[in-house]
Amino acid sequence: MKIHDFFKNNKLLCQIKKKELLNLPFPFENPDEIPEIRSLEEERRKEFEVSLDGVMAVGIYKPKTEEEEREFINRFLSGLKKLLSKDDNWTFLRPLFYSLEYCMKCQLCSSVCPIYIASGRKEIYRPSFRAEILRRIIEKYIKRKRFFLKLGGSNFELTFSGLARLCELSYRCTLCRKCTQVCPLGVDNALIAREIRKLFSQELGIAPKELHELGTMKHLKIGSPTGITPEALRNLVEFIEEDIEERTGKKIKIPIDKEGAEILFIHNAGEFLSFPENIEAFAIIFQIAHVDWTLSSELMGYDAVNYGLWYDDVQFMRIVVKQVEIAKRLKVKKIVLGECGHAHKALLGVADRVLSKELNIPRESSLILIEKILSEGKIRLDPRKNGFPVTLHDPCGIVRGTGIVEVQRRILRRICPNFREMNPCGVENYCCGGGSGFAVIKTANFPDWRSLVAGRMKLKQIIEAFHDVISPDINKYVCAPCSNCKAQIRDLFSFYNVWEKCKIFYGGLAELVVNAMVDLKRPFIEWEWR
Amino acid sequence: MAFFLGFLAYFSYFFVVFLYARKMVHYLKMPLHLRWELYPLGFKEKLKFFMEYFTFSEYFKRKKTYWVFLYPWHIGFMALILFHFLCCLSCLLGSGEVFFSITTSVAVISFLSGLFGAIGLFIKRLKDSDLRPYTTFKEFFTYLFTLLLFSSGLFVVFLDPFFREYRHFWDGLLNFDFINVSKGLTFHIIIFSLFLIYLPFTRSVHYLTKILGFFLIRWDNKPNRKGGKIEKLMEKELQRRISWSGSQIKEGLSWKENIFSNEDTRFF
Repeated sequence: MKIHDFFKNNKLLCQIKKKELLNLPFPFENPDEIPEIRSLEEERRKEFEVSLDGVMAVGIYKPKTEEEEREFINRFLSGLKKLLSKDDNWTFLRPLFYSLEYCMKCQLCSSVCPIYIASGRKEIYRPSFRAEILRRIIEKYIKRKRFFLKLGGSNFELTFSGLARLCELSYRCTLCRKCTQVCPLGVDNALIAREIRKLFSQELGIAPKELHELGTMKHLKIGSPTGITPEALRNLVEFIEEDIEERTGKKIKIPIDKEGAEILFIHNAGEFLSFPENIEAFAIIFQIAHVDWTLSSELMGYDAVNYGLWYDDVQFMRIVVKQVEIAKRLKVKKIVLGECGHAHKALLGVADRVLSKELNIPRESSLILIEKILSEGKIRLDPRKNGFPVTLHDPCGIVRGTGIVEVQRRILRRICPNFREMNPCGVENYCCGGGSGFAVIKTANFPDWRSLVAGRMKLKQIIEAFHDVISPDINKYVCAPCSNCKAQIRDLFSFYNVWEKCKIFYGGLAELVVNAMVDLKRPFIEWEWR
Repeated sequence: MAFFLGFLAYFSYFFVVFLYARKMVHYLKMPLHLRWELYPLGFKEKLKFFMEYFTFSEYFKRKKTYWVFLYPWHIGFMALILFHFLCCLSCLLGSGEVFFSITTSVAVISFLSGLFGAIGLFIKRLKDSDLRPYTTFKEFFTYLFTLLLFSSGLFVVFLDPFFREYRHFWDGLLNFDFINVSKGLTFHIIIFSLFLIYLPFTRSVHYLTKILGFFLIRWDNKPNRKGGKIEKLMEKELQRRISWSGSQIKEGLSWKENIFSNEDTRFF
């Protein structure tokens, strides 16, 4: 496929066929046993532009008149100019400019992209493909260098279909930045994908509803994209306290809004609803280790997520400022982030320069805190309790995003005698396929694509890590210290029926620590699929 | 002709240096961005970077059939710069036969290696289905241009194996006493000068900007300290006015007003 064909007609550009996808190892080698990507209904296809790959993450309404189409194109071009301006994009102008200007198109990036490889090397999913499209639009419409395009026979005219495809295509990359890592020039195709998302959001108001309306907007209005309000949070905490008592016999009072505590602990609020055992595990660890901590019940103080990181700078900054303002009001000494990869990257790294003066409050990872507690010997552990095979999934936001790589391994080697690495791992890991918001996007048939294509490489890695114990007679555990990664692994395992076929479970790191505690009579990890 | 050649040579050198410097300054003067570092970024990575800088090891590791042409092509350029430097040095200092032999060897390595790389890359980019759709007409033109440059250089080696004439030309250049040279060398000098003028319009400056790209973006994890330089710079950046039109953004207000406002729920 030629690059300029992207703007021609509105026929389907790429069809995902199961038999062309990356082969999976036993017992998933037969593609006929795995579901297809559901086709979109005729009505949706008429209403929305889905001619990229027949999958819908964003859902852009087709224009009804030529005037509407022209308006769309003009607004895109206006946004593109802003994306390249200091005033409107000082936040990422330098990295964007660098990646647009200096890509040599050698395609080394493609050799490591899990989506491109898993898809059976579909051209549209190549990391450099969307970047090259943006580059050529800039060449023609912003720099007005049309001579070489015409001479090379690669001229094109912008169309609504092409631009809508480009927007959808920016949501076929998990922003994992593995491609950036191997680029000898440091070109960041993931950043370009993010900048395309940003242009559509900040200029045209277009983004997947789970990230915008139900994501950052809901976060700012209600307190969390999960819909948990401050009142609901208090109820959930009570439920969690009761559950801890039921499971462990320990009466624990989880501190809320404790002024002057040393630590404000912020979980990904998804844990409260989907993985409460992670919250329980932290509460138990902190109780035994006598940590002076608190949760916040203030609007936005109980959810560490920041979907703005994936598509909108203004929303991103609004959220970090509000999160840190709460810590300031509570007069805590530092903020500690729960097991959430993108929250680590957002609050420990990307937001750092926005948080000045009194908002410059120390921020730390819970993984580091756990290691500190264990190294001080405050908790008695019996690693034999975690005798089952364990592997570690590295959340991209934690390893490549913040450089925390060895801490979690040191903990696991200490508490899990049967720990084994995936290949590759650490900073060279593969994304779970749920990164950059994919795990929460439930629109139309996007979840099918996410499991079938985006998460395929991770599934292959997990199965290979357990190849010697793959039988369903042996319980196995994937430790994923990130809420979104866990949600993705849960969906992935359901899609492929992994629990039934292999008895592989998933969960966080804190749960493994608690499971190894000498004090607990019953195992903390319950081998029950959910 | 002597004056034209001398003028063209000087102009091309100044032109390429000026435009390269301007590109670097433009890049350096861009606003301080939000942190976007990529780990790991320790000493080991920096060492690896410099190894990669001179050996292109990442290409060797992942795409040997590309490296086999890309590396010689770049060696061609590096040796060409060294050759010109040695020519200049020999005119300034005067040197013996050994020095001239080294200069000639460098030139031969440059032209042969560059020619091999240019032909190889042209064919590779044309035939490789991974590369072909992404290679523009301008990039093919660049390969052909370098092919012409290196082959004209090689032709000069056949005419004058020890570059005596070329060294006289350099002597004249440095003393502002421009001289006429043979047609073959005239052709090479014109091609080389035109190539220098063409270079800033390609992505060639990547060999320098790559250093900035790694140190100022990929490895830039400088923390924002209270009362520090970054804090002051950020204060300035946050005063910039936003003109984005998305409904969630208050167009016309500054970044700071947009971010720190407590009225956000009224925006939507």
